[in-house]
Formats: sequence, C-alpha cells, structure tokens
Amino acid sequence: MLQPAQQIVVDIYADESEFSRTVLAELKRLEIARRIKVKPFTAWRANKALVHPTIVISATDVAELHKSLRFPQQLLIVPKALANGIWQRWQGDTIAWPESVEVLFKRLQLMAHGFNTARQLNAVRDSLIWHTQRVEREHELVEHIFRNALSRNFTHYKHIRTLLTPASKFNGDLCLIAPGHLGNLYVLMADFTGHGLAPATGALPLSQAFFAMADRSVSVAEMVIEFNYRLNRLLPSDMFCACFLLELSANGEWLTYWNGGMPPALVFGSDGIVKHRLTAQHMALGVLTVEEFDSQVATIRTTKDDAIALFTDGVIEMLSQKREFLGMDALEDLIQTYPKRDDFNTLISELENFRGNQPLHDDLSLAILECRPTGLVRQQHDGEVEALPFTFTTELQADELKRIDVITAVLGIIGRLPTLHGHRTTIYLLLAEVFNNALEHGLLGLDSRMKNDPEGFAYYYQLRIERLQELESGSISIAVRYDHAQNYLHFTVRNSGRKWEAPALPAIDTTHKPYGRGLDLLQKLAHDLRWQNQGREVSFGYQLTAG
Amino acid sequence: MSITRHVSSDGKELIIAVHGKFDFGLVHEFRRAYSSIGDEKPTIYIDLRETEYLDSSALGMLLNMRKAVCDNVKGIHIINSRPEVKNILDISRFDKLFTIE
Repeated sequence: MLQPAQQIVVDIYADESEFSRTVLAELKRLEIARRIKVKPFTAWRANKALVHPTIVISATDVAELHKSLRFPQQLLIVPKALANGIWQRWQGDTIAWPESVEVLFKRLQLMAHGFNTARQLNAVRDSLIWHTQRVEREHELVEHIFRNALSRNFTHYKHIRTLLTPASKFNGDLCLIAPGHLGNLYVLMADFTGHGLAPATGALPLSQAFFAMADRSVSVAEMVIEFNYRLNRLLPSDMFCACFLLELSANGEWLTYWNGGMPPALVFGSDGIVKHRLTAQHMALGVLTVEEFDSQVATIRTTKDDAIALFTDGVIEMLSQKREFLGMDALEDLIQTYPKRDDFNTLISELENFRGNQPLHDDLSLAILECRPTGLVRQQHDGEVEALPFTFTTELQADELKRIDVITAVLGIIGRLPTLHGHRTTIYLLLAEVFNNALEHGLLGLDSRMKNDPEGFAYYYQLRIERLQELESGSISIAVRYDHAQNYLHFTVRNSGRKWEAPALPAIDTTHKPYGRGLDLLQKLAHDLRWQNQGREVSFGYQLTAG
Repeated sequence: MSITRHVSSDGKELIIAVHGKFDFGLVHEFRRAYSSIGDEKPTIYIDLRETEYLDSSALGMLLNMRKAVCDNVKGIHIINSRPEVKNILDISRFDKLFTIE
C-alpha cells in the first residue's frame, strides 16, 4: 500500500454535491494525509493565501475556478464529464474522478511537494527583499558618512584633474587633496586591497588624519608615520593600503613624496616627455609596525610647466575588449600624446575607448597635478573681538627665573589681544632678546664674545644653565602697556644686576657673526628703543596693525 | 621631538625640521642633526613650517651649522618659513648665506 502523503496536512474545499461527498469519503478512507481539514467550497477563492496543500472538489464548473491562482500548486478533482471543459482554464493540476489509487497518491504527492517548494521560495524571496532593503538603507547611511568625511576634499583645486571610477558602489581607492597653511598643497592617492565597502571603510580614518594634519602643514614623513600607525592597528592582517603622498611647495618648485606600494607616478614636461618615474621605495601602509616602518621621503625639483600623474594599478591593469592589459608603456604614450591641461578629457575618452564594454575589475583613479605656484591664500584669522587698554607688570625673583619660561608666559598673557595675530613671532623675538640680555649680561655676567666660535657658543649656553641654577639674588621686572587707541604695545624690562653697555650702534656688519644679531634685530624691528640706568633698563614700543 | 631629521634614500637630501620654539634649548639637538651628513654632498633643507618662535640664538645656531658643513654640502635651504619668521631672516640678511624658499 502506498502511503506517501501520510506526513502532510491537507485542506479540502468541497461543495455540497453528492459527487463531492463520494470523493471526500474515498479520500478519507484512503487516509491520504495525517490530517484532513474539510471546508466549504464557498470559502475558497482563487487569490486565497493557502497554508496547506489544498484539494478543491467541485461537481460543477464555476467562474471562480477560471481565475488566476495565487498558488497554482493545488489539485482540482472534478467528474470526468467536466474535466475537458475546465482543463484549459484551471491553472493547477486536475484529476478526472474516478482515478486509480496509485495515480491519486502520485499526483497528491507532486502537488504537496510543489506547494511546499513554492512556499519556501516565497519565504526566501520575502527575506531577500527585506535584506535588500536593509542593505540599501545601510549603504545610504555609509554613503552619507563618506560624503561628510570627504566634504573637505579640495577636488576643485584649479590645477588638478581627476578621474575616480569605483568598480562597485564604494571606492577602495582614495584621492585626497588639501591645502596646507603655508600655501603648500597635499595630494594623497591610496588603494586599499580589494574593492567595495570593506576597503572603503579604511578610507575614513585615513582621510580624517590627512585633513587634520594638512591643516597643520605637517611634513610628508610625519604624515605617513601617523597613517601607518593607524592602519596597522586597524586593518586585519590580509588588508593593507598602497599609498602615494606628495606635497607641492607654495611656489610649485619642489615636490616631496613618499610612495608605498603604488605604481610609479610620472612627472612630465609640457612636451609630455616623462622626466621622472617616482617608483615605490616602501611597503604599503598598514603592513609594518612602528619600529619597522620607514618614513623616508624623496624630493624633486619641478617647474611650472611640469605636471605629475598619479594613478592606481586599476588604470594600468585595465582590460581592453581583447582582454589585454593597458600597461605602463601605453599609459606613458597616452600622456605624451595628451600632455596639456585641456587634453585631460581626451585622455579619459582614450582610456574609455580602450576599455570598451569590458567591465571594470578594480577601482580606477587617475589624477594629474600641474606643478604651478599654488596661489593658495594663507588662512586669515579675523580679529572681531574688541580689545581693552591694559597695563601689566611682573617682577621675577631668582627662584622664579629658574623655574618659569618667562617669555612664553608673558606672551601667553598678552597673546589674547586679537590684533596680535601676525605679530606674535616678532614680539616673542623682541621680548626674548631684551629678557635674555637682562638675564645673561645683567644677572649672570656672561660675555657674548664667548660665542665667537661654535664650541664657545655651546659652552656659553651651558654656562647660562649652570649660573642660573646657582643664582641666589637679583630680579627682572617686565612691564607691558597696551595703548588701545594707537593699537600700540610698550615694553620695559629692568634688571637689578650689573651695569652693561650696549655696543655702539650702528654695529659692525653682524651678518656672519654668531652674536650681536639680537641687538641688530631689536634696532630694526622695535620702535623707540632706549637703554637707561647704565644698561639695566631697556624700553621699546611695537606698533600692531590689523592681522 | 623638537627636531626631526630625514635623509632621502639616495643620501642627497637631509631635511631637518624644527618644531615649536627654536632657541638655545635645542643647541645640542640641532648640532646632532647635522653631525653625520654622509659622503653624498647632500643639500640640507631646514624646514621651519612648524617653527612658531625663534630668537637670535637660533640664528647663531644656523650660522654655526653653515660654518661646520659648508664644504661638505651642496647648499643649505631654509624652507616653509612663516611670514614673520621669513621677515626676521630677511632683516638678518640670511638670504645672502642661505637659499630661502
């Protein structure tokens, strides 16, 4: 006896006819399923969502049976006389009653199997839809974060052209551009292993560090040390980041670079002839530990007619329609044919022609930077804060002179003046000169002539440290007065030490001498410089202008 | 780390960067930075981008460096000076002795 359907639960919709009662009784007798739930035919609809394999028994042909079925995997049992008419229009399987037990079971089994498969398929489809929506939402979030992280990217810099083409939605290549505050420019091109979201994630910490350090005009060597440190800690061991970092000086005349694992950048003149190939001398970022890492940079001279092409291996490994690599030579040829600024779009079209319909296998990035004077303005601070007129006096005794960095402290106090910006370094210098003069000559009795040769120079400052440690008495007072109306600073520095005679001015040409320059600078940078009380008191003024 | 030193891989450039305050406190550290310059007759670049303050002792140290190495280097360039620092170098006529960029 065949019992293939014993595992299943079957729903049966049957009408009120004698035919249905007979079929139903037979099906029950054959124990076609573990459980049979009988429902009235009127409860059945073509678009009904079914929960069990379903048999429909009908003695008559009704319109509902001709409609499109939501679940075609159901079995219709009709009298033989009706079967031919309904065969064409009913979407599911049909049994013309009576039928042999074997065939009945076989068809029932097929229907149940089809029903279960379709149900599983639907469940999988629903969960796929859910996942797709979720991934899309997450991609939107990540894209938003990337947009923000790269919002400071200075891609609109007028002397650079870029082509950035990710192979998938997220770019594992990174091309970052930022101005330093010295009018210099930084360009970073990086290529994380692989492509897609995972490598793009590494772009976040790298770009944050890059922009923060460019703001401070940090040197290329220090930047790569920091990048490597961060990526080495962050990335799994099978992931790393090839990177080319360059800094172009404000006048465009020198270019410092560090190349870790990137293809050689090409420096070419206006004729397109390649002058330098800046090949990689280092491992990619994120591979070596801090101790192993080599931050050594190289520097080349450039002129305003030079340009440098940076690119990721996606460019030279791009496949043509004939499945051939583009290669370095072909890229150099292209650059030589199209070296001009206005040729960039033609160069891009040539690359696209080469690729044709071949899909991209890797992210592809190309940037061409012209080595012109950057013309970038230095960042200005606005001095909107209103200043107050003030006076400030301090008198420092021997033990305070030993402990305190006096000039930095005084500068810290007056440093709040909004108009001090652009004068801070000069005022530091002037204060340092008069203060050191008071300390070294007035209190410590040092003689500048000692500084005449390099050994004496070092010895002089050694003596300064020693004598200051031994100093028991004596004081230096510093008075600062700020004239708000004139925007003018007035300084007076007194010491309680021995008399001292400033060398007669104008002094001899001090250009080559290692001492005496301080007085010369005071003469030239300070207003109204006066020595009084046998050299124990010096005063000068300084005109501030709006920063 | 007030002074950092980098030699290019071909030994032809020595970059010495001074951070923060350039004064007599760095006298030994600065001398050490140019004490071994190799046989390649390098060009020395003094990078002052992060030098915010200096006084006349710094100028003295630069002159002493020049005296010590001038026969063994191709040139000494002072680079990336802030405007105020550059003004101080100009007033001291350092442009006669160094290449200031």
